[in-house]
Amino acid sequence: MQTRSMQTKRAARNVDIAIIAVLTVMGVLMLMPFLWLFSMSFRPAAEAYKMPPSFLPPTLDLSNYQTVLNSAVPFLKIYWNSLYVAVLVTIGQLVTCTLAAFAYARLRFPGRDSLFFVMLIGLMFPAQVTILPIYLGYAKVGLLNNPLGLVLMGLTSSFGVFMLRQFLRSQPKELEEAALMDGAGYFKIFWRISLPQLRPALAALAIITFTGAWNSYFQPRALIESQQAMTLPIAMDLLRGYMSQGNLSVVMAAMSMSILPVVLLFLVAQKMVIQGVTFSGIRN
Amino acid sequence: MAKRRLSDLRKAQMRAGYLFVVPSFVLYALFVLVPVAITIVLSFTYYDISFGADWVWFENYQRFFGESRSITIFWNTLRFAFFAVTGNVLVGLLLALALNRAMPGWLLYFFRLAFFLPVIISAAFVAVVWSYFYAVDFGVINYYLNVLGLPAVPWLTSSKVAMTSIVIMDVWKNTGFFMIILVAALQGVPQPIMDAASMDGASPWRRFSRITLPYISPVLFFCIVFATIGALQVFESITILTGGGPGDSTRSLSIYLVDEAFGSFELGYAAAVSVVMMLLVLIVTIIQLVGSRRLVEA
Repeated sequence: MQTRSMQTKRAARNVDIAIIAVLTVMGVLMLMPFLWLFSMSFRPAAEAYKMPPSFLPPTLDLSNYQTVLNSAVPFLKIYWNSLYVAVLVTIGQLVTCTLAAFAYARLRFPGRDSLFFVMLIGLMFPAQVTILPIYLGYAKVGLLNNPLGLVLMGLTSSFGVFMLRQFLRSQPKELEEAALMDGAGYFKIFWRISLPQLRPALAALAIITFTGAWNSYFQPRALIESQQAMTLPIAMDLLRGYMSQGNLSVVMAAMSMSILPVVLLFLVAQKMVIQGVTFSGIRN
Repeated sequence: MAKRRLSDLRKAQMRAGYLFVVPSFVLYALFVLVPVAITIVLSFTYYDISFGADWVWFENYQRFFGESRSITIFWNTLRFAFFAVTGNVLVGLLLALALNRAMPGWLLYFFRLAFFLPVIISAAFVAVVWSYFYAVDFGVINYYLNVLGLPAVPWLTSSKVAMTSIVIMDVWKNTGFFMIILVAALQGVPQPIMDAASMDGASPWRRFSRITLPYISPVLFFCIVFATIGALQVFESITILTGGGPGDSTRSLSIYLVDEAFGSFELGYAAAVSVVMMLLVLIVTIIQLVGSRRLVEA
């Protein structure tokens, strides 16, 4: 009996090892596109199409990166636009969503629940249903081809309000009530008590919002045509067009720089990023 | 005295409430509510940027459901959604089952890195990489097929293969998301029940189908719905890999909408296309609400 259970245990261990081995192979395969693009960015442009493909950088020669910066495409300006949009959208959402979440979770006022319900409906609308009127409106007020247009339309989100409200409601109320008794104003309560309570949720929201804005493609593509106003995702086509004449390595150097902030964020704060992104999924 | 103070407090609370809600609600109305309403109105018109709108009732919708081209695109989108959702959730589940065992922390970090990194990098970036992987003559994948003595595959240039290639990339990109969610669900399956079942000699398949699956089915259901809503809006990966071609074989509703709106300036018609998309998403959402209630009751 004893030996039999040991045998099954050993068999189970072998299964574990086999499965982990398969997972490891798959994991490496999953990373191939990233390894390839990174290693490609260091390959001399003349050898870009030479086979076999390399998955580790052959040299650490930065000349492809210099070529990107010196090219006809205003890469630095585009990079700046991406940062500008992603940072401002993130700050904007943190501010507007926190304020609203505090009101919806903690304050009583007529119409509160209906307002919140209307805000929730926003979770249902895909970006495709709002883009045409925004395009027409922006054309009227001169916000087409302007990164500011992308900022304005991203300053708040139903999701952010919803997520922070749910989080705040799960936090104890006693401190706030005590502060109220002591005569503190609502703004003071918000600032001193609720905001610190919200800190982990704010970090998650910041990560989701920043990566979302950094990766956004559909809306910039519809609203922006001029190179000077582009963000990185829509500039990739442009780069490909300008550099594809045998210059794959240069495109990949631009690509490496473009994905860098998100990759770094992920390497440093893996757990928080995963929690944030999956939370954005589990919104119901 | 006490009464007055109470009503003051209520007034202050009301003022603070509206003040705090106003910024987000005004922005939301301006960039979501009003645009959605305008889109719906627009979809009943023939709209010309210089001459304004003509009310045409259901003409745009008749055109959409009457033209063979738009019907093809409609079915393309559903077909893509079906295969992408199946692939994403199925692979995600298999990975989650594989990952749900004791292993050293660094290994777990590596797996999370490998499977989740594609999730957080924009398809707009990685699709460019994949377009080189998929290239016929100088592509990475065909190079290795050649090494193995297999014929080259026209990944993106054949209307028979292109949709499959896009689904493969989509699964590569998104399956990690479902893996993570399903791992969390699997950890909620009570271990004592599993142990008792294996003590009674239940086979792994039986344990999976009788214990694990019922436990995680609400989460699985959520994954399917979430994946469907995302897949119905597919845009950047197709735009970059094939642009909707060859022919219309990979064109999705989103791409069609952008073509019609910003290529042909058929804004009224494009609005109708986006309303159709919205209705698709709405139907899926309603199925989710009804279904999850039923699953919870069951």
